[in-house]
Amino acid sequence: MSARLSRRRLLAGLAAAALVPAAARAAAPAVRVATLDWALLETLLAIGVTPVAAAELVLYRQVVVEPELPAAVADLGLRGTPNYEALRLLRPDLIFGSNYTSWADPKLRLIAPVENISIYGPGARPYAAAEAATLAVGARTGRTGAAEALVAGARARLAALKARLAGGDGRPVLVINLGDDRHFRVFGADSMFGEVLERLGLANAWTAGTRYSATAPMGLEVLAQIGEAWIAVLPPVPAPARKMLAGGGFWHALPNVRAGRVVELAPVDPFGALPAGLRFARLLAEALPFAGKAGSLG
Amino acid sequence: MADVARMPRARRAPPLLWTGLAGLAAALFALALLLRAPIPGDPATARALEQVVLWQSLLPRAAVALLAGAALGLAGALLQRVLRNPIADPSTLGIASGAQLALTLSAIYAPLLGGLVGAVPREMVALAGGLAAVTLVLALGWKRGLEPVTVALSGMTVSLIASALSAALVLSHGEYVMSLFIWGAGSLHQQGWGGAITLLWRLVLGGAAALLLLRPLTVLALDDASARSLGMAVHGARLLIIAVAVWLAASVTAEVGVIGFIGLAAPAFARLGGVRAPRAMLIAAPALGAILLWLTDGVVQVTAAGGADAIPTGAATGLLGGPLLLWLLPKLAVVERPGLAAPAARRLRRPLAGLALLVVALAAVAALALLLGPSYDGWSLATGDLLADLWPFRAPRVAAAAAAGALLGASGTLMQRLTGNPLAGPEVLGVSAGAGVGLAAVLLTVAAPSVAMMMGGSAVGALIALLLILAFAAATGFGPERLLLGGIAMGATGLAILSAVLALGDRRAFLLLGWMSGSTDRVDGAQSLAALAVAVLLIAPCLLLGRWLDILSLGGPVAGALGLPVTRTRLVLAAGAALMTAVATFFVGPLSLIGLIGPHLARLMGFARGAAQVLAAALISAALMVLADWLGRTVAFPYQIPVGLFAALVGGPYLVWLLRRGPAKGA
Repeated sequence: MSARLSRRRLLAGLAAAALVPAAARAAAPAVRVATLDWALLETLLAIGVTPVAAAELVLYRQVVVEPELPAAVADLGLRGTPNYEALRLLRPDLIFGSNYTSWADPKLRLIAPVENISIYGPGARPYAAAEAATLAVGARTGRTGAAEALVAGARARLAALKARLAGGDGRPVLVINLGDDRHFRVFGADSMFGEVLERLGLANAWTAGTRYSATAPMGLEVLAQIGEAWIAVLPPVPAPARKMLAGGGFWHALPNVRAGRVVELAPVDPFGALPAGLRFARLLAEALPFAGKAGSLG
Repeated sequence: MADVARMPRARRAPPLLWTGLAGLAAALFALALLLRAPIPGDPATARALEQVVLWQSLLPRAAVALLAGAALGLAGALLQRVLRNPIADPSTLGIASGAQLALTLSAIYAPLLGGLVGAVPREMVALAGGLAAVTLVLALGWKRGLEPVTVALSGMTVSLIASALSAALVLSHGEYVMSLFIWGAGSLHQQGWGGAITLLWRLVLGGAAALLLLRPLTVLALDDASARSLGMAVHGARLLIIAVAVWLAASVTAEVGVIGFIGLAAPAFARLGGVRAPRAMLIAAPALGAILLWLTDGVVQVTAAGGADAIPTGAATGLLGGPLLLWLLPKLAVVERPGLAAPAARRLRRPLAGLALLVVALAAVAALALLLGPSYDGWSLATGDLLADLWPFRAPRVAAAAAAGALLGASGTLMQRLTGNPLAGPEVLGVSAGAGVGLAAVLLTVAAPSVAMMMGGSAVGALIALLLILAFAAATGFGPERLLLGGIAMGATGLAILSAVLALGDRRAFLLLGWMSGSTDRVDGAQSLAALAVAVLLIAPCLLLGRWLDILSLGGPVAGALGLPVTRTRLVLAAGAALMTAVATFFVGPLSLIGLIGPHLARLMGFARGAAQVLAAALISAALMVLADWLGRTVAFPYQIPVGLFAALVGGPYLVWLLRRGPAKGA
């Protein structure tokens, strides 16, 4: 088995190093794995493992978007109420979970061994945790090479983007979700976005505390305190917020908005792993006008 | 029930008190202005921004607090007058929850339906939801002449259904719905004058309509017969006034979300201050509502840390609800009446044979749930190896659903016999809400709690709620209506706490939502066996209490005359019902309506005697719950619909039909 594995590992490693998802997918998985956690799902896909099943795939395609999900992955239903019967019928060899799914462990263990790998938690540093999770997932699925390549590739990509953003205006960046026309929440230093900002050489404009990555919803008036920052708006943008972005009196009185320092990004999973971090970095660099235009951003 | 309430005669100090409260609210507002963080940056820009924050955010927020409070106070005063019910308000009648559910639906499905729904103003959506809820509540209470306790019970039930539905919708749409959390707990943040102007118009129009309806209002304080003899089209006038009140409340919900219990508090305080005449009430209630909401919002703003309110204003006023209800209840003029439960539609001649039939039916449903199910390749009847594979997943949930259903059915029968009220379901007892608060406490304090810890948390929460309700009921002599209302008050407080936790909008909120919508699939084999054992242990003694149940149905005075130790009997039955509810709630969430429906079905089938009805209701409810659980996990395979929600969706309309056509008892 090990001989076969090493060839696969090499292929997968090459594929992941090139970060070409299609090629990565071509390698068949060594073990039949399933996962309830989106961060681990995107990690698996990025290192070339196609799980037999994962949870809430309808929403995954809207929120996480990439790595693209092969049609072969079976949907287990909501992350909060996964369908154990369906999972049992698919006979996975290994199930990946995290601290968000650990309540389901007793049931999952009836189906297959469970490996819990957590990235988010109180006081955790998600980027380092995501690197560790990638390596752990790689080791467990016989894809150590691909996992190492993903970790190294992510660092290299972030360093390259950092160099491109180095000629920036020195302003910090505020990453927010809009709840409606009156509320927003912001991602702090302990979020994946905060950690990626740091690695891109950008300051996070939110220096106060959070509750698990993001703050509780706040009133829009708080934005007046942060007038110098760039505002990166993450989807979803609900209809009332869309109207507010178009014509809200208070919003358009903010210095950042008046100076055009607002960018809207495509969807990114706020609780993702390395692929989500890279996606965020790329989308932000594409959106910020001062990023150097040398080479492709993809 | 000729008058709204027995209120103490006018005391004269209150105007001073109100002025004081208004002054306090203004002082808090000034403090909030002073305490606001300075804006960094160059002085010119900062000064301009200060002005923007002051004029576009803080002042409109104060205006909205005053206007929304006034609108809710007016809505509450109108509803209380027209329903002759001192505990009617947009919260207790389910109007706010109904409006919120409609807004949730439209927020989630508007993008799918495109311009069609997107073009409908939020206010209209909220109005439709509020009207639907209040229609449902009044339909449920109609047979009993819209008597206050029954209306409050229906309102609580409808509120619970609406909250559970919203919870399930939020759950199934994951990350997309931060705003739904915010509306659920009414937040007053503003970023312009739009909301204030909208509410001002509603208030002016609503107030004008109320003044026009003043004469009918005065007449409506009389009972229906006298009013009709004065030439009033009683029902028409009532419905018009209710529509105005719902419109006011729905507008507030559409603008700022659910603001609990201001409509209850404002008229109550006005009455306390000696306001009696309708015209005076139409001015006093909005004024007091405005002061109360401004005061609450002032406290919320002053305690806000770093821009995030510690709890949303709507949840804060919700916390007022419980204590307020408890304080109002002793003043309620309630009449003890013989219950509906006494004569059944027909009487089974051989109840034992009937029970045997129900056992067979339950076994059949359980077999169906165990054997038949969908997979990715279509439906299959599991036997042999496949059944052995699926058994560890199917058997515990079938057992847990059956146990929870049986407990709820038995508990509902006890409650309905005890209170003589057909709408007394175990869900409104307040124990479930206590369990939810206990669960929330565990989720907030433990990073990755296990199922056992979550269960322990809800057990402790349920126990505390149970003790509080019993303590309250004991203080008032265990009158059945008091017990119900104490439960409602506890439930209202619990829901307010839960909505404050949900407003955090993080992953813990999602776990809590999962519990609120009810789920049997976390139960393992040992837990499900324990649930069955508890069900047997708690239900079996009820069979020995048959005589108590039969006599209690005749009403307290008669039962006492027949030599029953009424107070002690009620205490035992209430404690038993609450315990059963607490256990069932672990498995199916706080709401299913099955505990409400089971006893009715048992009665309709002709199980007339107390002991037989308890057993029959337990068996019927168990079968219904197993069926709901099976449908919930099969209709949308591989996605699962929470069992509590599924049961409520099927049970709600059926309940209305049942109560409308059932024999008119009560009043």
